[in-house]
Amino acid sequence: MKTFFKNITFFGSVFFVLAQCSYFILDRASSLEYDKRLEMLMEGEINKELLVFGSSRGSGNILAAQLEKETGFSSYNLSYQAANLLYQEFILKTVIAYNNPPKKIVMAIDNPAEFNGNTGMRFRNDRLFPLSKYNYINSELINQDKRTVLSKLLYIDRVSTNMFKTTKVNPPSLNPFESCGSRPIILKPKGELVYSKVLPDYSIHVETASYIQAFKNMQSICKKNNIQIIFVFPPNFMVFNSNFYNRFKQLMFPENKVFVYDTLNPAYKNDRYFYDVSHLTKDGAKIFTTEISQFIKSL
Amino acid sequence: MLFNSLDFAVFLPVVFLLYWFITSKNLKHQNLLLVVASYVFYGWWDYRFLALIFLSSIVDYSIGLQLKKDRKSSRRKRLLGLSIVFNLGFLGFFKYYNFFADNFVEVFSFFGKQISSNTLNIILPVGISFYTFQTLSYTIDVYKRKLEPTTDFISFLAFVSFFPQLVAGPIERATNLLPQFYKKRKFQYNKAVDGCRQILWGLFKKIVIADNCAEYANQIFNDTNEYSGSTLVIGAVFFTFQIYGDFSGYSDIAIGTSRLFGFNLKQNFATPYFSRDMAEFWRRWHISLSTWFRDYLYIPLGGSRGSTRVSVRNTLIIFLVSGFWHGANWTYIVWGFLNALYFLPLLLWHRNRINTNIVAENRSLPSFIELLQMGFTFCLSVFAWIFFRADSIAHAMNFISRIFSNTLFKLPTVRPTYLIVIVVLFIIIEWLGRHGKHTLETLFSNNSRALRWAFYMVLIGCIFIFKGEEQEFIYFQF
Repeated sequence: MKTFFKNITFFGSVFFVLAQCSYFILDRASSLEYDKRLEMLMEGEINKELLVFGSSRGSGNILAAQLEKETGFSSYNLSYQAANLLYQEFILKTVIAYNNPPKKIVMAIDNPAEFNGNTGMRFRNDRLFPLSKYNYINSELINQDKRTVLSKLLYIDRVSTNMFKTTKVNPPSLNPFESCGSRPIILKPKGELVYSKVLPDYSIHVETASYIQAFKNMQSICKKNNIQIIFVFPPNFMVFNSNFYNRFKQLMFPENKVFVYDTLNPAYKNDRYFYDVSHLTKDGAKIFTTEISQFIKSL
Repeated sequence: MLFNSLDFAVFLPVVFLLYWFITSKNLKHQNLLLVVASYVFYGWWDYRFLALIFLSSIVDYSIGLQLKKDRKSSRRKRLLGLSIVFNLGFLGFFKYYNFFADNFVEVFSFFGKQISSNTLNIILPVGISFYTFQTLSYTIDVYKRKLEPTTDFISFLAFVSFFPQLVAGPIERATNLLPQFYKKRKFQYNKAVDGCRQILWGLFKKIVIADNCAEYANQIFNDTNEYSGSTLVIGAVFFTFQIYGDFSGYSDIAIGTSRLFGFNLKQNFATPYFSRDMAEFWRRWHISLSTWFRDYLYIPLGGSRGSTRVSVRNTLIIFLVSGFWHGANWTYIVWGFLNALYFLPLLLWHRNRINTNIVAENRSLPSFIELLQMGFTFCLSVFAWIFFRADSIAHAMNFISRIFSNTLFKLPTVRPTYLIVIVVLFIIIEWLGRHGKHTLETLFSNNSRALRWAFYMVLIGCIFIFKGEEQEFIYFQF
């Protein structure tokens, strides 16, 4: 029995030491990523007065550099494509934990999918995996049930197959990063879009409780840190969904502001400014960002 | 509790230490500890069904004692019948009630009579098929006077609920396992180390092979219509490795864990994908179930000793029942039937016992003929697994018809290189270790400790790095 325990302990110790060497794999994985925003957040490098939150509509429809120029607030875009509210809440918490809180947050709302958990929106674990070397990120992955608590002890438990890349990951040519973190869509697809005039319906039955809670949490965090939230409704290539808007206003804290794109602006009925039904091209984003700037200046 | 969970990683050392350091002086205490540990292990999943195991144990224990007392053949028969009805009754209710209810309704509607279906929302207790067969084997062996009924209730409870093999086998015979609870167990270094090796290989098979293959197999089987014939073949092959890695991995962990506690369980898999014909495959796949059916169903029915008609009938029965044992779905029955069709020609031409040794026993590589035979047998099993994995017969037929379409020769759209490399390496390692009772038993046994340890560390590293999305063991549902 003694020999058994002696050998098991020795084997385990040797393995532990070797397993910790996998830190080099983790370190390399993070260096290969093109999206450095989360890493910059954790390094406390994003101390801006205005931050943009949202999913792909926040990422591509709001140009942070233009906002900075037009409003005078130093700005940065922290929107992530396909990010749901749970992920946006996580990003907000990271901002507060490692950086000076901003004065304002511009949050792009997905009309009408913001609170619906059954769309393609998700918690962007794929953005977290390459940054597993950070204990903060690893803890979040444990919260998300993507890692076991063993990973707190063993670096090798944080390694995954997709970390064995040989080359740097390049951003897609469709929407590369601009300065200040925005990713406007620079290509226009072939084919025409048809403007829909049918007023869409909205039912609260599609809402996901955890999303509603995350939305409330975000507002509470901002309130606690004296951050004003400006909810912005970007245009879709269809008539404005006021049913969702009315529901949204019920969930919004009164101290926050809401801005809806200029529904009378003919540009939003012109498909040359749209990549698809719910995403603007860079030219469209410029028009929309100007509207937001004017709204912010009017506050 | 899952073998591949952190819970079990804590549970096992705790029980191990209590077993060898606190209760080792008293056999009864040691057995009682195993009972408690087993009930905790099972209750971790759903404590409500512990009552079922306990009830099953009490009934078979009592019937065993009664069988000893009764000398009258008719009364003994009635007692055996009672045990069979009781055990199979539970199994039938929990596992097959809805299946029969649904099919009953369908048969009536076929004849134009509409009746409403009265299916129930029944949770299938994990492992019920395994421990039911285990307790049944006890009563049958006592009835046949092959085994003295036990008077030690704690040992019997431990035999029925022994945690390493409780939920997914191997299905142990009372004649093999029960007597091991009567004898004082001594810690044996070599046995424990070999047990650890077997656990390691089992974890590798489950976490690296089965869980990774499962991701792609599920993706392809769930969207059959989206893929080309060649991709569907890849999906079927991945499922073939998934089910092997999953189930034989579980058996390895179960057997290895038992060895840590001084027990010897039966070998359940013997590199079945290196079989040269389907008869050999069935001697190497899920051995504890095949031999159970052989001893308690096939031989009592007359086996292959009667006329050709009887042999064919018995073979069909055993394969159909085996299929049905796996689940209450027609797909499993067709899977069983298909295997019977594979097996029958060998039986009829008396070629079912020609490959009883290990392939390429004294050689490092198989001959060309052996390679062809293995390849053919593997293809047959891949084809049969399609039915096993499909949700329905229609799904399986659609899957097969799409395979044999003109897209069969297109480049597969799903071809994960890393997984293909891992599976190929896995096959090589299994080939090298095919002589042992488990793959790592003999592999590197003549090499230095440093090399062996390095190999084990690589395996553990792979388990961490290549762990797929966690999947429940497939055989839990059976």
